[in-house]
Formats: sequence, C-alpha cells, structure tokens
Amino acid sequence: MKRIIITILISIFIITGAVASKNLYSCRIPIKNRGISDAIASGDLDLLFIGSSTFRSNVDMHLLDDAYEGRVYDISYGGNQCVATSIQYDEIKSRSDHDYGLMVFEMGPLMITEDVKLSDSRVIWDLSLKGKLDLYNEMRKAGNTDASVAYEYFITSGMDDLITYPVTERIYATRYYKGSKTDATQSPGAEVLDSEEFDISDAMPNEAQERAVRDIIEKCKRDGQAFVFLESPVYYRLGEDPVYKKYEERFIRLLKEEDAPYILASEADFDDHLAEYFEDMNHMSDAGRKAYTRELIRILKDRQN
Amino acid sequence: MSLISIQFAIFMLILLTVYYLVPGKHQWKVLLAASLCFYVFAKPVYIIFILTSIAVTWYLMRKPTRARLIWTIVINLGILIVFRYSVYFGIHDLLVPLGMSFYTFMTLGYALDCYDRKIEPCDNLFHYALFISYFPQITEGPIGTYQDMKDRLIAVHRFDRDNIIKGGYRVIQGLFKKLVIAGRLSYYVDTVYGNPKAYGGLTLIAATFFYAIELYADFSGYMDIACGISGMLGIKLKENFMRPYFSKNVPEYWRRWHISLNEWFSTHLFMPAVTSGWNKKISKVMYKIFPKAKKGTIRMIFPMIIVWITTGIWHGAEAVYVAWGVYFAVIMLLSVCTAAWVKSFSEKIHWKADRLYARIFQTVRTFVIVCLGEVLFRSETLSDAFHVYKGIFTDTRINAASVIGALTPFGNGNQAAASVIIIALLIGGLFVTELMAEHNEKAFMKHRCVYAGVLMVVTVLFGVAGQSSFMYQAF
Repeated sequence: MKRIIITILISIFIITGAVASKNLYSCRIPIKNRGISDAIASGDLDLLFIGSSTFRSNVDMHLLDDAYEGRVYDISYGGNQCVATSIQYDEIKSRSDHDYGLMVFEMGPLMITEDVKLSDSRVIWDLSLKGKLDLYNEMRKAGNTDASVAYEYFITSGMDDLITYPVTERIYATRYYKGSKTDATQSPGAEVLDSEEFDISDAMPNEAQERAVRDIIEKCKRDGQAFVFLESPVYYRLGEDPVYKKYEERFIRLLKEEDAPYILASEADFDDHLAEYFEDMNHMSDAGRKAYTRELIRILKDRQN
Repeated sequence: MSLISIQFAIFMLILLTVYYLVPGKHQWKVLLAASLCFYVFAKPVYIIFILTSIAVTWYLMRKPTRARLIWTIVINLGILIVFRYSVYFGIHDLLVPLGMSFYTFMTLGYALDCYDRKIEPCDNLFHYALFISYFPQITEGPIGTYQDMKDRLIAVHRFDRDNIIKGGYRVIQGLFKKLVIAGRLSYYVDTVYGNPKAYGGLTLIAATFFYAIELYADFSGYMDIACGISGMLGIKLKENFMRPYFSKNVPEYWRRWHISLNEWFSTHLFMPAVTSGWNKKISKVMYKIFPKAKKGTIRMIFPMIIVWITTGIWHGAEAVYVAWGVYFAVIMLLSVCTAAWVKSFSEKIHWKADRLYARIFQTVRTFVIVCLGEVLFRSETLSDAFHVYKGIFTDTRINAASVIGALTPFGNGNQAAASVIIIALLIGGLFVTELMAEHNEKAFMKHRCVYAGVLMVVTVLFGVAGQSSFMYQAF
C-alpha cells in the first residue's frame, strides 16, 4: 500500500509540475525565431506583423530585414483568429517596454467568419497565464468549450513541444526566421491549384471576431500605436469567389467605420493568377513570398513617406 | 455511458460500495441491476431487444430440442441481421443496439452448447440474464461462455484489496492504450485513410503501420479496462489478447488476437464444418485431384474459407470486409498447406527456427502480412484499398519530399517533429513493455507499480481528450 501511495504522489507531483510549467512559464521559455518572447527580445522594431500562417508564408523577413535594417518581426501564431490577435497585442504591450514603429495586423476576410477556437496550439506557448485565460474565456463566451476542450487547452496542448523542447526547438529554429518561414516552398502547379476544391459558401460573420477587430483598433488608438491592417493576395480563384468578396467588403466597411488604415491586396503589383506564386489558395510559395514582400516594402515605404 | 467518462467512474464507485456492502448471496442481483442500468443509460429502448433475446433463449433452451434450437437461432440472428445489415437494403434509420453482435454470439453459443449437452440449461432466468448482460463485456466482449462465467458471476466475492489494485492497474493500462496510443494515432490514420489518393507511398505505409497499432491499442485497451473493472468486482474475464504482434505466424496471430471470437468460430462453426458429411464428400473429391496432399489438410480447406468469410461478414457486409475475410482465408490456407514444404526447405538451408534472427524474421513477417490485411479492414472502399496497395508497392521513393509528406498528417508543420518523437517513444514504450512481459511476466509484474505510475503521468499529459467510443463498438 505504501508503494502505491508513493507512486500516486510522485505521479501527481510530476503532472502538476509539467502542467504548471506549461501554463505559467511557457511564455518565458526561450524560443528562437518564433513568437512573442523572441519578438520582445528583438528590442525596438520598425515593423511588427501580428497575424496567422498567412503572414508566416507570405512575408519574407530577409527582404524586410534589408529594407528596415533588421528592425522587423513577424508574430504568426494567431490561428486566423482576430480574437487571438487582440490578446497577443495586449500580451506584447504588457510584457514589453519597446517601441514598435508600425504594427501590421492581418486582414484576412474570412477571419471575421472564423469560430473562436484554439486553431493553432502554438499560441498557447506565446501567452502568459493571463493571456491564456483571456483566450479561453473568449472561447467560452463563444460557446466553444467543454470539459474535453478545457483539458486539451490547459493540460495536453503544447505538451509535446514542452517535453521535446531540447531537441525540437533546434529543428524548428532552422525552419523560421523572425517568425516567417524560410523553406523554399514550391508551387504544386496550376493544374493542382485550379482543381483544388474549396467551399466557403457556409461562412457566416462572427460577432466575436468583428468585436476583436474593433478592440484592436481602439487599443492602438488609446496607446498611440501606429498600425495598419494588411490584406494578403490570395490565388485568384479564392479572391474572385463571391463569398470571399462579400467578407472582404464587410471587413473594409468595418475598418472604415472605425477609421482604421488598411492596405488591400489589390494595391500590390502582384499577379494573383500566377500559380507559381502559390502553395495553396492563400499561402504563397517561396517565389510568391519574395515577389509580394518586395511590393509590400514599396507600399509601406510609400505610405510612410 | 462510455467506460471512459466521469459518469462511469461515479457509477463504478457506487457499484463497488454497494456490491461489497450487501450480503454475498445478493451480490449477483446488484450486478444484474447495475448491468441493466448500464444498458439503459446507453439508450433506454435498447433494453427491449436484449431482454427479448434473454427471455426467448432462456425459455426455449430449457428443453433444448432441435426445433427449439432453430427457433433460437432464427430469432437471435434475425434481430441481429435486421439491425446490422438493414443499412445495406436501404434502411438507414435503425440504430444498432449496444453490443448486439457480442451478446448474440454469447446467446447462440449458449444455445448450441445446451443442444450439444455440453452444459446444463440455466434454471434461473435472472442468472442467465446476468450472464448475457454483464456490463463490462457487453459492449465489445470478450464473448464469454456460460460454463466459464456462471459460477464466477453468482459466487460470493469478498472485498479483496489485491483485486482492486490489480484491476486498477489494468484500467490504467487500458486508458493509456486507448487515450494516448490509439487517440493520437487515429488523427494520422483518419487523415490519410480519409483520402488515400492524396498521399504518397511512404505516408500510406506509415498510416497502415499506425492503423495496426491503433486497432490493437483501441481494442486491447478496451479489454484491459473491461477486465480491470470486472477484476475489481472479483470476476475474472477471459483474456482476449495475448500480445498478438509477437506471433511468429498468422495462425498463431489469430490464436492471440480477439481470442474469444476466434474460439467461438472454432467451436461453433469450424469444427462442426470439418466433421460434417458434406465436407467429407468434398474432401474425398479433392483428395482424388491432389493425391499427395494430407487428408487432414484437405478437410480443413472449405471450413476455413467459410469461417473467414463469415468472420469478415460479421464485421460488416461491405466488400472490404468480405475481401478481408478472403485475404486471411488465403493466408491461413497457404500457411497450413505449405507447412510441410517450408519445414523441409528450412532444414535444407539449415534455418534454425529457434534462433533469435529467425524469431525476429518470423515476427516481422507476420506483422507485415497482418498490416497488409488491415488495409482492407480500414479502407472505406475496395478502390481506396487498391490505391493504398498500389501506393505501398509502387511509390517507394524515399526523399526529402516524401518524408515531409509523411509528416504532414501529424498536423501543421509546427508540431510535426515533436509529434513524431512522442509517438515513436509511446509506440516504442508499448512494444518494449509488451516484450518484457512476453519474456518474463513475473519479473515484469514485480515492477508494475513503477510502470503504472509512468502510465498515469503519460496518460494525463499526453492523452487525447474526448475519446470515449471504441472502434469495435461499431461491430
């Protein structure tokens, strides 16, 4: 009986330690080339991107480095969630005293239709306990939580990365640079992209995501933080979809109502019919990433001048 | 009510308390009430079918005549066929009652044993009802026999701390297999087998390997939980798995996998078919065609084909299940028919079957043959299965692109490396512990406490939440 009690106590101790480490300290674990901690460690920045995998794939940080003397960073673990972006903004502001010349938020039209959920568990690593609780509360308000979601959120999510950190961190660090992808992703070709099926016909506006956009704008204005919303080009088949266009217009209307600056995909001299530029409907290949980033630098410089 | 739920944990706590507090002679009544409650919790209307089956079978088998046996078979199989196979006749709104395939087989086994005078018919309807409805085995088996179970279920069981500890250990082991191993692998397997045409050979090989592990972890995980909770009640259930992936040939594999179902088929279908008149007649004709073949081998051919096709159909009437049955029928026949030739060939090349290299070769060969069969079991259509085979055997490129492609189903690339490491460690851990138990079970059991502690930690930290249904519930 004594052995059983000791085993149970040791097990509880290990479990508690691992869960506490993840929830309390994950945001302090040094991560190279990704996430909020690394962005903060980069010091003052001229440009800080906050978005999802679209930013990770579509922005070339080496080109931006050259244009802004290395004072750039890309936080790209929002999982298509405006709600997460808003919480990430709070997180940076509360944990950092650095200056951020311009914050660039993602303006993916379909982001305002996304369910409030944990769509990229890496965001868990980025957030402090308060941030985690805020995101969880937003999910709860949206009715997207139950016991199993809570368990995944607070216990198992990100645990693989925590346990394998000494090994995997080195692997991941080679795949990213300042939050953006470094691998030379190739396009699967026009034949694949032109036949790829996608169905966004049942997309519905989500009030929580729209409210988060307004929150971001309000907080930036309150803090005197310069910002802009950036729409990335998507492959023409998605860009010309009537549902996509509807939500693009809705997002623009929302930004206009709040008097917020934005950059549309159409402002870039970028051929969204060229399959070579895309890995899938909304993520760019290496060639597309480079071509678009050059255009983005031109637009941003023009705006700043 | 799933065996993996808070409700079930509460149910078990109440049951254990009441079970060990009531006088011993009433314990079986508590079990019967609990089993019926468990069944009602699943869906109240299900109780009608199991009670009908219990009452009809018990009544008819009190005097087991040939006519009564036929009625019992017709009624029980009739209900099963209507529910299980109506979907193939365009009726889609019939929900199969919980554990129907399993309790029908127990019922038929009881009826056949009564008719063959192997057992005395049960004289107490409620004892018989408990045998059929006993809740740990109702969902996925094991398919118990009346002669094994009757005394255990009715006997007085005093509280024994050791039973609770051993049972608890089995439950932890089952939860680990189900929530951690099966839960994690299911994501990969479902992604790949959901659209096999989208993946290359390496990914299909990985998914097939993972599926074999997932199926074992899911099904044997359930058995561990079922045996564990039954053990806590002092009632030993039949073991349904004996580390099947360490088998050295396919017939041995089938003696170690889903043991109770295979024994049922062996007792009630294979052996009667072997000794039947029609089989003797066919065997005589076959023997004239193949005069050099052994008589015993020839007499096994048709019964084996029948058993395997029936086993396939028991899982479902889809073409993939029938093909799966045919595949294993062919493998089993090849194994039996070539046994003498293989033996003489091994002697010629001085192949020592008891050497380590030979045992490893045999184990790996058997595992590969089983995995190839499971492609049919997992695929949704024969066309999908064909595509998987084609990918496995023709798309054999191993390069950076195929390796990255094989990592993709682990989720987005951000967690792939960590997932691969964790899954490799988990599968490695499962196999190492099974290997230790295979070689020296006593020594292994001595350190069970440490093993249970590790399982608890791993299950809590790496388990996939929300996994409450088991794969074999579908059958």
